[in-house]
Amino acid sequence: MKELQAKVDSNEQIAPGIFEMTLRLTEGIDFRCGQFLNLSVGDGSRLLRRPFAIIFYDPSACVVGVCYQVKGKGTKLLSAKKTGDVLTCVLPLGNGFMIRPEQKRVALIGGGVGVFPLVSVLNEYSESDKHFRSYMGFRSKEYVNAFSMFNKRSDVTWIATDDGSFGSHGTAVAEFFRDYKNARPDVILACGPAPMLRALKSGLQERGIDVPCYVSLEERMGCGIGACLVCVCKRAGTEENVRVCKDGPVFNIKEVEL
Amino acid sequence: MANLKVDLCGVEFKNPVIAASGTFGFGKEFNEIYDISCLGGISTKGLTLEPRLGNPTPRIAEGDSVILNSVGLQNPGVEAFLREDLAFLREKEIAIIANVAGRTLDDYAGICARLDGLVDMIELNISCPNVKCGGMAFGIRPDSVLEVTRVSKEALLHTPLLVKLSPNVENIAENARAAEKGGADAVSLINTLTGMVIDIERRKPLLANVTGGVSGAGIRPIAVRMVWEVCKAVHIPVIGMGGITCAEDALQFMMAGAAAVQVGTANFTDTLAMPKIIDGLNRWLDAHGIADINEVCGTLQA
Repeated sequence: MKELQAKVDSNEQIAPGIFEMTLRLTEGIDFRCGQFLNLSVGDGSRLLRRPFAIIFYDPSACVVGVCYQVKGKGTKLLSAKKTGDVLTCVLPLGNGFMIRPEQKRVALIGGGVGVFPLVSVLNEYSESDKHFRSYMGFRSKEYVNAFSMFNKRSDVTWIATDDGSFGSHGTAVAEFFRDYKNARPDVILACGPAPMLRALKSGLQERGIDVPCYVSLEERMGCGIGACLVCVCKRAGTEENVRVCKDGPVFNIKEVEL
Repeated sequence: MANLKVDLCGVEFKNPVIAASGTFGFGKEFNEIYDISCLGGISTKGLTLEPRLGNPTPRIAEGDSVILNSVGLQNPGVEAFLREDLAFLREKEIAIIANVAGRTLDDYAGICARLDGLVDMIELNISCPNVKCGGMAFGIRPDSVLEVTRVSKEALLHTPLLVKLSPNVENIAENARAAEKGGADAVSLINTLTGMVIDIERRKPLLANVTGGVSGAGIRPIAVRMVWEVCKAVHIPVIGMGGITCAEDALQFMMAGAAAVQVGTANFTDTLAMPKIIDGLNRWLDAHGIADINEVCGTLQA
């Protein structure tokens, strides 16, 4: 991981309150899918950086892309950044997703902004022999724009919305279980809000499905590099914490309490 | 290049910039970004005799120019520190300050005895506001500050004792005097101020622990004032901290009388904050024709 300057290349709204930003780094990084960066918001009054999943990395131009939702003052400041503005970041952070060579059929389950870490998986394995089936859940049809990133590289993409305004009425997890017999995945990768991941965990347990399942967790962070012990979660069945930023953000779904 | 070396209670620091407890772990993570041997020292993550899990999450929140934390002393325990982290820090040849906390006077005496002679300094955390029925009680009243300092000092034969003072008190200078009377070799201040942030949509506090410790640039003027008051009140060395982000901030504390400084929250904003502060001190001293950082200490005209 490195501390680098990052020049804003583009910063565009792709859905209501959701932005895609590309950043040109001063030097190259060693990136794997599922890793994240911790980005300054370019304002002295915000002391914390914001952790965002890196959705792609272009090594020839040293450019990374992130997507973020405007939630508070920090992300609002970020959304006003213009091409050429200079921010700082630490990256790449965390362990990232791993797909073993023998795992050919991959299920991607994403909810809300949790779909973005999964985009990096599709980008990294775009030229590979993997077959992806994606299950995406959004609040309503206005947010579905993000799924165009999936449509390009995933063999099949299922969309669900909370209000039924696009795709099926329901959740990404329900879509995944509906399609499970056709999909027969070798590995499941998921990211989304805690209730979604809990539904996935209990759904797998109830059905006795023992396919390896990895989830990327979100937690409010301090340093982002593993020193401050702010972003922890409990290791399942133990009296021990793991650090989301350093030991994760990707964990085996059985390993952590959700 | 001016001399940046400072001496505190017979311990040599290659410069006066020390990583503050809780923001820097035991140094290994930051060392992946830069070689931490450039630092004056490190105050470790707060250690207890037994491992602790800490508070529920969220443990961090943000305000304007400040952050709040309620990590609640999560740490692997003193034995794990000795086994897994001390040798790494020794290799870095920086001054090692073990920050320690306890629930009872016996805890403090026990952890001090265990670390005596193994680290360069011990910093008593008597002011961590996050653990219920924990450190806070010792740090509030001058008589209990004196008592916990005395008990800890009695357990130490070799290692100098530093007492970290809480700002959430009636009169911090009086507590500093109590620490000095109890046998403290130095004091450090300020620990975090107790604060709270509310999410108005959910009508709930942002921190799972409800309240947390406020730190960052926004608390700096309060910290400078308290360091100045304490420096006038005691004869032992003072380490200043609270919202330091650059060399100019550090110099305010040193002019107010601090012999060294600690840097905490700034490490989150910029992982290279401390090397930049050290570099900035060098440049400032050179620009002002000052050959030794020690010549700056306590030179406030007031």
